[in-house]
Amino acid sequence: MYLALGLSSWMLMYALSTMTMNHRHLFRSPPQWQAEKQETYQAAFAEGADPRLIGGQILAHLGLEGRFNASRQPGGRIQVTRHDPVAPRRISYTPADGKLVVERMVFRAPAFLERMHRRRGYGTGPGLEDTWAFSVDLVIGAMIFWVLSGLWMWWEMKATRGWGLLTAALGLGLFTVFLKTI
Amino acid sequence: MSFHLLIRRVHLYLGMFLLPWFFVYGVSSIPFSHAEYFQQRYGRPQWSVRFERPYHIEAPPGADLRPIGARILKDNGLDGAFGVYRPNERTIEVYRFRFGSATRLRYRQDEKRLVAEDSHARWNHLLTELHARGGFDQDSFLNDLWAVVVDMVSIGIVLWIATGIYMWWQLPQCRRWGWAALGGGGGLFVIFLATL
Repeated sequence: MYLALGLSSWMLMYALSTMTMNHRHLFRSPPQWQAEKQETYQAAFAEGADPRLIGGQILAHLGLEGRFNASRQPGGRIQVTRHDPVAPRRISYTPADGKLVVERMVFRAPAFLERMHRRRGYGTGPGLEDTWAFSVDLVIGAMIFWVLSGLWMWWEMKATRGWGLLTAALGLGLFTVFLKTI
Repeated sequence: MSFHLLIRRVHLYLGMFLLPWFFVYGVSSIPFSHAEYFQQRYGRPQWSVRFERPYHIEAPPGADLRPIGARILKDNGLDGAFGVYRPNERTIEVYRFRFGSATRLRYRQDEKRLVAEDSHARWNHLLTELHARGGFDQDSFLNDLWAVVVDMVSIGIVLWIATGIYMWWQLPQCRRWGWAALGGGGGLFVIFLATL
């Protein structure tokens, strides 16, 4: 019970995000970006420097450290995407004139939920990223534990064995039909 | 039947019916959460060629790919759930999938050639397919029914949270630790949102 109460925020997020992903045709729309900041960034990078190195330095300059990816676009422009769960940023840096443009993704609840749903994995960024990955593993362990403990608690209540067996058999039967046919 | 008993029974029987899905969603999250480990251990997906043949279908740029993908499958004696996309302007790829197996049809427009490849079955792929499957974009009753069950699982989780909180509240001796768990979890989640 306490495990479930503690992880209820994660479970609610996974449930709501699954619904939006299952009905993507209703919620899909291209991301919209709004300009947040524009400035000149004076820095000297070696020609052909790793875009990740440049991206990390730019994010540190902007105070936006965290999970990101970076790529070099045709023409030499560096594009950095900062994967903030609530407000992702797109940062464009043109080394030739030092122009730095920061854009923020307009918040949309379905996109936010899907980002949270897909966020996982260790070693993907600094700070609390690994702690988040651990929390995802904790949810996984809890889900398996709830299935097993739920079965045990059902079996302990003799009055519910018949209907419990029937609903479990119906669910398992339907699941098997799906496995065989689609 | 009292309201309290109704809540308890909904919590229980919904769980029993959706148990295979809930269990599979839990277990199948492991290959997603530890993708690097599975990639290192099992390598990239393996494909073997089923056939390679001359083929032609009109597919102008910007055309709706879905009917084109359906036609490619039908012309080659295949059916089932599929996705279709253009990895580049010369190629159309149709990905036909069933639980445990998949067929990839790659149509090269410039060469007027079609290559079909079958995936090698792997248990971790089956799990990720079970996890990721959903949506109402296939023209098939059973695929739509699967998507309905996915919605049921989502609604079921929301109901388990609501009925679970109700049942916890009915146990006064558990309220203090329950508040600590609920507040601690909610607080940590907000910290993640603010700092990730």
